[in-house]
Amino acid sequence: MLSRVADSLYWMSRYMERTDGILRMLKVNHHSSQDDREGFTWRPVLQIFSTLEEEKIREIEYDGPKVMNYMVVDRNNPDSVVNMVTRSRENARSVQDNITKELWQSLNGFYHKMRQDKLEHALRTEDPMTVLDSLVRQCMLYYGVADSTMFRGEGFGFMNIGKYLERAIQSAEILDGRFSNLSYDMEKPTDTTYWKHLLLSVSGYALYLKRYRSGFEARNVVDQVLFNIDFPRSVLYSLNQLQRYFSRMKDDRNTEGYAKVDFVIGKVRSKVQYSDVQSVSRVGLHPYLKEITSDCYEIGNTLNQYYFANS
Amino acid sequence: MALDPHSFQQYLHDPRVWDEMYDNGSVRSPYQKVFDFLQSISADELAKKEELARRLFMSQGITFTVYSSGEGIEKIFPFDIVPRIITGAEWRLIESGIKQRLKALNLFLKDVYHQQFILKDGIVPIDLVYSCQHFLREMQGVSVPYDIYVHIAGIDLIRDSDGTFYVLEDNLRTPSGVSYMIENREITKRIFPDIIPQNRVLPVTHYPSILHKNLVALSPRKISSPNVVLLTPGIYNSAYFEHTTLARLMGIELVEGRDLVVENHCVYMKTTSGLQQVDVIYRRVDDDFLDPLVFRPESTLGVSGILSAYRKGNVAIVNALGNGVADDKAVYVYVPQMIRYYLNEEPILKNVPTYHVAKPDERKYVLENIDKMVVKKTNESGGYGMLMGHMASAKEIEDYKKEILKDPRQFIAQPVISLSSAPCYINGKMQPRRIDLRPFALCGPDGIEIVPGGLTRVALREGSLVVNSSQGGGSKDTWVLA
Repeated sequence: MLSRVADSLYWMSRYMERTDGILRMLKVNHHSSQDDREGFTWRPVLQIFSTLEEEKIREIEYDGPKVMNYMVVDRNNPDSVVNMVTRSRENARSVQDNITKELWQSLNGFYHKMRQDKLEHALRTEDPMTVLDSLVRQCMLYYGVADSTMFRGEGFGFMNIGKYLERAIQSAEILDGRFSNLSYDMEKPTDTTYWKHLLLSVSGYALYLKRYRSGFEARNVVDQVLFNIDFPRSVLYSLNQLQRYFSRMKDDRNTEGYAKVDFVIGKVRSKVQYSDVQSVSRVGLHPYLKEITSDCYEIGNTLNQYYFANS
Repeated sequence: MALDPHSFQQYLHDPRVWDEMYDNGSVRSPYQKVFDFLQSISADELAKKEELARRLFMSQGITFTVYSSGEGIEKIFPFDIVPRIITGAEWRLIESGIKQRLKALNLFLKDVYHQQFILKDGIVPIDLVYSCQHFLREMQGVSVPYDIYVHIAGIDLIRDSDGTFYVLEDNLRTPSGVSYMIENREITKRIFPDIIPQNRVLPVTHYPSILHKNLVALSPRKISSPNVVLLTPGIYNSAYFEHTTLARLMGIELVEGRDLVVENHCVYMKTTSGLQQVDVIYRRVDDDFLDPLVFRPESTLGVSGILSAYRKGNVAIVNALGNGVADDKAVYVYVPQMIRYYLNEEPILKNVPTYHVAKPDERKYVLENIDKMVVKKTNESGGYGMLMGHMASAKEIEDYKKEILKDPRQFIAQPVISLSSAPCYINGKMQPRRIDLRPFALCGPDGIEIVPGGLTRVALREGSLVVNSSQGGGSKDTWVLA
């Protein structure tokens, strides 16, 4: 496979994963903002999913409709959903001969939907939840079409590598963002709705209720989002998938590249695999999460160097 | 009875123009079924079908992007829903005429880049060839596989007022539009279900497999699965959709210049498992941009050293380099002579009478009669740099005359040929618009094959004779009947 094609498929997939993450986060936050009596803040969302400066965050953090507009349809925000989808589609457009027609059409359809003027209007005047739901459905369509039509070749591998790398980074960052409010103290008692929202934003609420019978505790939330291998958005699950898809790239013609990337993936995966909540609290949650995300970025850089020929 | 706004009752075509559907007020028989069908559906239904066509183009990404103020806007190449019909008998004439012409043009290219008999015999003036911008000295003495230079030709045909087909120009470099031949048919299948089989229309879907077969056959390495790629200038090119479609339909890799590298006179592509040798390149990049070491040094679309690999025979390039000397608009004048010279046959398809302005007596005639002429630049295409004498203002004509006198070699002139008209569904009404026809001929080691069909281009502006997409043209599905 052409290096440029592999690169584009990887980014097409990363941007879609990020789109999906933003949309879920916006949904949950919008929902909880409707419950809040003490001035709901959008700060964590803006911190995790945008590059806004502190000053700007302060300006809009209590203004739901503004945040919604900024994060979904604002073309001047490089991290808005419309820009993510545009970039994903632009990557797909340049590799149409390497994806199925169905996948291209699902992304192209999403792109055209994002560019309709009525979207901005609906977001402002109608129920934002309905609008966000319709966009989440586009993401689901993309995932479903990718899974049911894409041929299981190298391209599918790079798509999944992009997807799970992005997911691991996101889950770690969401956890980090939420805990920064609590000064990373896992023993600090907090309102249970706080945890409920965190779990909802990563679609982990139902699983949590089934798995952890003792009610909401910070340590259990950390356990689920970092280590639960049955939870498809946990960091460990994502890294396991990443390793699984990368291991299929083994090829006699690029042994050096394979060894380098395999090493960095293996390193971070074992780090997570052989940690637990106790060991994390000994080093501190924040430094631990920072280390995981920077290891994940290293995976991206190494792929860049040895597989995407961007050196 | 109220007039149905979409019906043909208000269809007024110019009686001096050949109309494809109407003959003296009655419908030509090949069009009867389509005519009846269009009459049977209501104006609302027809409008819905037009909207469906538009949506299908959009959702399938059959679009090109126009970039303005940093933001891309998706545009559709306008499509008219009423098909254009060519009878079996007409098609056989077109087919044999194009095959004959292409055979002669291939022989001409081989000759002009080798022994140059035709120049020595004085059939084609030697200064005409050597003054042509697209004549490449780099191709002199280079042997190409099977002596084929033109693997893909898009020869433009028009119909004069008596219905005779004329060749307007030979596109022998990187003709485009074939994806619209294929996609327009797919759209028609969706908007008019069952109508195509009822009319016994010949299919066009096998075009990519013929092309692929021909490309594979050119591989210099005789291996079981040679590496064939399509070289595109990239996503910003207006024909990018066509490049991805053809690559997808042939199952070959779509590459950009930056994906390729030349090492030791062989071309390789950069893959996730290292360099992989490339055997055949179907390039959609013009000669000028292909190799920055030889042609334009600033080109980033090409590959440094590719010409040396080509000259060594380590890679096949389709179409060959230097073909521009054969579709130069001044050389065009001599194609009938080429057919007589190389094949000893009379041309089946006529040329449009053409005056070469470089010749003093013809120049005098052209300048005196410029208001009845179409004057074109010999090295331009896409409808750029033309003067339509009958529509131009006195000042435009004066300015153009000055241009001509500066360098007469660069100009040819033709009488205004009227182009046939065909019904188009525009603003809810059937209206006559001028059309041409570009069939796509494929030349491979087994001979020349032409898929029955082509691209019918439409001049959408009322009264306009210019069908080029860059000048407000659209297209129609083109049916060849069995």
